[in-house]
Amino acid sequence: MPTPDAPDPAAPAAIRDSGGRQVTRGSAKGTRKLSPIAYRSLIWNFTQRDLKSRYRGTMLGWAWALLAPLATVAIYSLVFSLFIRVEPPAFGNGREGIYAVWLLVGMVTWQFLNNSISLGMPSLLGNGPLMQKVYVPSFAPVLAATITVGIQSLIELGIVMALLAVLGNVGWTWLLTPLWLALLLLAAGGCSYMLAVANVYWRDLSQITQILLQLLFFLSPIIYPLTLVPETIFGWLPIRSLLEASPIAQFVIVGRDLLYGLTLPSAGQIGYLAMCTAVILVCARWVFRRWGEDIGEAM
Amino acid sequence: MTAEPAVSAQNLSKRFRVRRERRTSIKERLVRGRAPGSEDFWALRDVTFDIPQGSFFGIVGHNGSGKSTVLKVLAGIYRPTAGHVEVNGRVSALLELGAGFHPELTGRENIRLNGTLLGLTRAQIDRSTDEIVEFAGIDDFIDAPVKVYSSGMSIRLGFAIAVQADPEILIVDEVISVGDEEFQRKCSDHLFRLRNRGATIILVSHSMASVESICDHALWLDHGRVAARGRSHEVVQSYVDHVNRKEHDSSGEPEPDDLSLSGVRIGSGEIRVVDLQILDGSGNERGFAVAGEPAVVRMVYEAKEDLAAVDFGLGFIHESGAYVAGPNSRPVGPFDVTRGTGFVDFVMDDVLLEPGAYWLSTAAVRGDYMYDHLDRGFAMKVRGTPRGGAGLVGLPGGWRQPTATAGPPLDRSGERRGTGWSDTGSSPPLRH
Repeated sequence: MPTPDAPDPAAPAAIRDSGGRQVTRGSAKGTRKLSPIAYRSLIWNFTQRDLKSRYRGTMLGWAWALLAPLATVAIYSLVFSLFIRVEPPAFGNGREGIYAVWLLVGMVTWQFLNNSISLGMPSLLGNGPLMQKVYVPSFAPVLAATITVGIQSLIELGIVMALLAVLGNVGWTWLLTPLWLALLLLAAGGCSYMLAVANVYWRDLSQITQILLQLLFFLSPIIYPLTLVPETIFGWLPIRSLLEASPIAQFVIVGRDLLYGLTLPSAGQIGYLAMCTAVILVCARWVFRRWGEDIGEAM
Repeated sequence: MTAEPAVSAQNLSKRFRVRRERRTSIKERLVRGRAPGSEDFWALRDVTFDIPQGSFFGIVGHNGSGKSTVLKVLAGIYRPTAGHVEVNGRVSALLELGAGFHPELTGRENIRLNGTLLGLTRAQIDRSTDEIVEFAGIDDFIDAPVKVYSSGMSIRLGFAIAVQADPEILIVDEVISVGDEEFQRKCSDHLFRLRNRGATIILVSHSMASVESICDHALWLDHGRVAARGRSHEVVQSYVDHVNRKEHDSSGEPEPDDLSLSGVRIGSGEIRVVDLQILDGSGNERGFAVAGEPAVVRMVYEAKEDLAAVDFGLGFIHESGAYVAGPNSRPVGPFDVTRGTGFVDFVMDDVLLEPGAYWLSTAAVRGDYMYDHLDRGFAMKVRGTPRGGAGLVGLPGGWRQPTATAGPPLDRSGERRGTGWSDTGSSPPLRH
């Protein structure tokens, strides 16, 4: 028999009766404390489940997590540095730039955003049977997907940084990387969550999103530097400024500045990214309040 | 134990929007506009109840009465549309065993995941893993992925995790009825142990016997409203009475036969039994018989010519396939039949058959010559309350106990008779 234990504040159900009771009135969940922090152990368990089950049954297992992005980088490098000669900027240490390395930094950023949306978006539907039988806060499976992808991206980033170190391109700006990563993680988690909830109500949103993501990939300066984009097109559309203003572009640009160019982003850039992330989180919170607690029913 | 109830629900209502046609894809929305009509369906209406701490609470009702909705609201899966619920304690819901299992993960990994879902800490899970494995009886498979488990094994594992979570309030939805006898016994033993430790157990069941015997209090839901609540014995009784009354009321109308009729007809065909009517004691057509009351089985025949010395027979076959009785008119002598339509009655002063569904076979013969035989061509329902014993017939007979006082032991004081059994002769006559 299990001996009764002092409730761990991290355990979701223990939080549910924090203060002794859970009051549910009308459509509001009363005193139940619903924050990702309170449910961190559940999110972490979902993450472990996702990580463990992801490559189980495949021959190369975890190696796929690295092989797939490397293959993509190899293909783009082939096309854009051998066939079409895109000139990469110089390294921060003054050496001549290498397209594949320059691309890798942008690609890791993009892959993280892209994968966390692709994996997080269907996660509510995928956990449908569970969510109809057990109370699970709807953000838990989505954030677990974001973290799963985040761990993969962190490994990729580690490899990229090791490569940069071998090339002698290390600088103090690397110290700002955690801040950049944190903003990226929060923004990706928030976007994934909103899309996951919407996907429960509109099932074909995932297909539309796949197309939009492809469009966003080419609209962001990932495989090309912004300097290759004309200032204006059609004589009136300031295309370069528009592309530059996108948060995705800024995440890519700031990441490259920190790791590849070894230059500090401007305070305005960081502020802009922080503001975008904050807006996303506020919206995600609103979505959770409005629809997030009815997922079990909507499925 | 505090006086505060474990669960207190006040005027709980839950509305579902039922769209006539679900349009969840954007294309459908664009092409065909918003779904035309959504109807409101109130799964729960003004449901109020309290569940005292440390009690066994049963919820009964027919399918679709809102039982599961109540459980889901209590478990936090649904938000109530109106009203409010107070749940005092850590809830563990067994709405479906093994709902949170991931097929690719091993049993051990699933224990950890499910334990977290039920609100256990990591230390608690690690400590109780061995007990869970032992309780579920799956030691050999604990490190194999759950997808290779038999359904019985995953159910056992799910239950084991849920009960080891040591919940303060355990919600059980008809799940104990799965699994073999031994496991069921283990489960109910464990439920009682949990209650002895002060846990509150909420049980939804279709088994009135288990609700009545296990639960202290019960709630009867009818179309989302509270039909009765109180001591489980009284609630179950009124629910059972209601179901019986409803079946009795609806029996006036023709209802689909539960039995499939075989209707294989053999014989030369000079006379045929074309219809069978079930009448009550005063000769009104009733469509069913009532155990312990008089009834008449009327065999309607069509004769193509005048026939002499025809014997009629009936076969009563219980839905289980047992041939219960085969009365025929030979003891009272054959009947002469004139051309055209007529009938003979088989009269029972007291229907000895126990309630249930019966097939009736009919026959018309002359000696060994078969005019007509229709195998299980008709069905008859016997309603009423069973006489208490087992079997297919209420066998006439009385009970007695030898008494110390002198006197012939065959009649008098010690004698007891079976209920509903009349002593007006055991062999009903056959009338024309």
